[in-house]
Amino acid sequence: MPAILTVDDSRAVRTIVGKQVKELGFEVLEAEDGVQGLQVLQDAQVDLVLLDVTMPNMDGPTMLEKMRAGGNKTPVIMLTSESKRSIVAGAMKQGITDYILKPFKPEELRAKVLSVLQGETSGLDSLVQSEPSGGAGPAPEAAGGVGLSSGPGGSRFVDILLIDDMENVHKKLRSLLPPHVTLAAFTSAQQALAACRDKVFKVVLVDTEIPDVNSAVLAQQIRVLQPHAASVALSLRTANDAAGEVKEQGFESVLFKPFRPETIDDFLVHHFDNQDFLLVDDNVLKVADFTGKADRVERFYTRLHSVYPAALEKIAAACYDEAILDLGTPPGEADKLAKLVIAVTGKSKEFGMSLAVVGPETARKALAGFEETKEVHFFPTVQAARGG
Amino acid sequence: MSVEKLSAELETILVKRIQADQLVLPTMPAVALQVQEILKDPDAGMKEVAAALEKDPVLAARTLRMASGASFAAGSKKVSLQEALARLGTKTLKSLLVEASAQKLFVSRNAQINGQLRVLWEHSVAVGVMARDVVALTGGPDSEGAYLAGLLHDVGKPVVATILLELERQLTEVYQRNWIDSGEWLQVIGKVHRAVGVALAERWQLPPAIVVCIKDSAEYDKADRAAYVNAVCFANALAKKSGVFVGTVDAEDNDAIIMIGRSVMGISDDVLRTLTKGLRERVTGLYD
Repeated sequence: MPAILTVDDSRAVRTIVGKQVKELGFEVLEAEDGVQGLQVLQDAQVDLVLLDVTMPNMDGPTMLEKMRAGGNKTPVIMLTSESKRSIVAGAMKQGITDYILKPFKPEELRAKVLSVLQGETSGLDSLVQSEPSGGAGPAPEAAGGVGLSSGPGGSRFVDILLIDDMENVHKKLRSLLPPHVTLAAFTSAQQALAACRDKVFKVVLVDTEIPDVNSAVLAQQIRVLQPHAASVALSLRTANDAAGEVKEQGFESVLFKPFRPETIDDFLVHHFDNQDFLLVDDNVLKVADFTGKADRVERFYTRLHSVYPAALEKIAAACYDEAILDLGTPPGEADKLAKLVIAVTGKSKEFGMSLAVVGPETARKALAGFEETKEVHFFPTVQAARGG
Repeated sequence: MSVEKLSAELETILVKRIQADQLVLPTMPAVALQVQEILKDPDAGMKEVAAALEKDPVLAARTLRMASGASFAAGSKKVSLQEALARLGTKTLKSLLVEASAQKLFVSRNAQINGQLRVLWEHSVAVGVMARDVVALTGGPDSEGAYLAGLLHDVGKPVVATILLELERQLTEVYQRNWIDSGEWLQVIGKVHRAVGVALAERWQLPPAIVVCIKDSAEYDKADRAAYVNAVCFANALAKKSGVFVGTVDAEDNDAIIMIGRSVMGISDDVLRTLTKGLRERVTGLYD
């Protein structure tokens, strides 16, 4: 168990620090001043020192100097009410790893202790960008899957952050998104920034006409807190060259209001990976409902063909004997639907599984019209399919 | 004359002039001043403000750009000046007036110092942007106020530069000798600009919280962590560390300010890593 030495002449501080550190599962050693601190370092194996500055007998900087002079390189976090930069600069020369100003929040102490003990601390040179970095352009592609999220209230991971002062926009977008895509919506910049400190978002939608809010500045601030989220501007369809202007401001793209199902479909295709189209739940492959225009049917099936093998493999790896393909509300092109079912049936056999298909009556009729699919095990609900 | 001696003498002269109210300070541009006066009247409408603002085409254009151009509401239809003012609101307009007035101080007809004033302005914008973002990201209530405080923290420098330029003209004519070099010139400005900046801020009736930042933003205010001065002190060090600065930087001292500021402001390393990303590009050429 790592041991942490807290050197402080205040018993109250030592008690508070000790409690926090013990809660992290570490052993705590205490010293009232630098003299005692050096003695403890001689007698025990210490992994981290939390060091005050002003103490009787021997102050923190002197103890630090003696530690280093004696070859002791134990990491030190200065924990003090001293904020004079000359003193901190001197301590930095002696190689302190971090600094905490009293009074401090428990989470700051915990984060910095863990960071040091887990070897994650990095120098200021790597934290502050000193070279031109190519501008505040689009953030890198988002990581992580939609399936992680259970909703804005409970999970740290949320798919979409929406900032628009009109609540009706929140409602409208929610109504157009598939149920599994989570949305956190706010009417003010401050609420949104607060959410960004707690949650991880995949896509951030910022309205460009929130009163008294500079949307470009807000988007930039959100990018600092959510560096991996895609940044999308929300703009009126009537706007002139909105796409070009929002890119100048550092947004990746623009989503127009009023929303249209086909543009939401494009948005989902662009920002959410293939898992959105085919979710795996136990042995069920759930195909997302098709909401786009007729000219997008081809792309819809092409994407399904590209993702189902991996999903089936996942089910086979969990040792299921049967996979259930839940078609949801498929677009009404019978031949494409039949090709999909034939392909999934074949792949299921390769994995040693049988296949049951769930869907609406229209899908059953469509599949019954083809020789290869007329015998497929078809059920109206997943529950019925599971019951055999 | 050594830099120290020149600084000391200049400081003495300036302080005496300030105390006797004899220092000729730049006034706020007439239109900005007039608009500020109108805004003091709670019954005044945006129509009157727009009528006053129209007299300064550059200021009017800047207002329109902020309200309907690239930086405020992307792609919206073109708006009238009165509509733009209604959209911005009184608080933003006041901030814009101060910002535009301050920027004029950073422009000189003298090519010798104009380049350096431009870099100084970019540094000021960088500090304003960083201070605003730091306050917003840590949940502070008035990030735009922090922006103005950061933008103006060095506002005394261009004024001192102008005074120095005049002194140079006089002294070189009298003594027929070369003036100090540009490095020394910056050192002198660095030593005396704060008193002049404070006098200017008071003349322009800037809020006390901003005057505090101009007076001294080199140390943190432990007693009030939400004070603008903390955001400006931290932002100033970040801008220097990012290389958006003119003059020499004591790197160890600057790192200490950043180290302390992370704790004072409650900025995590993850946030710090992205906060300064692309800072130079964000401030270069702004408001040309």
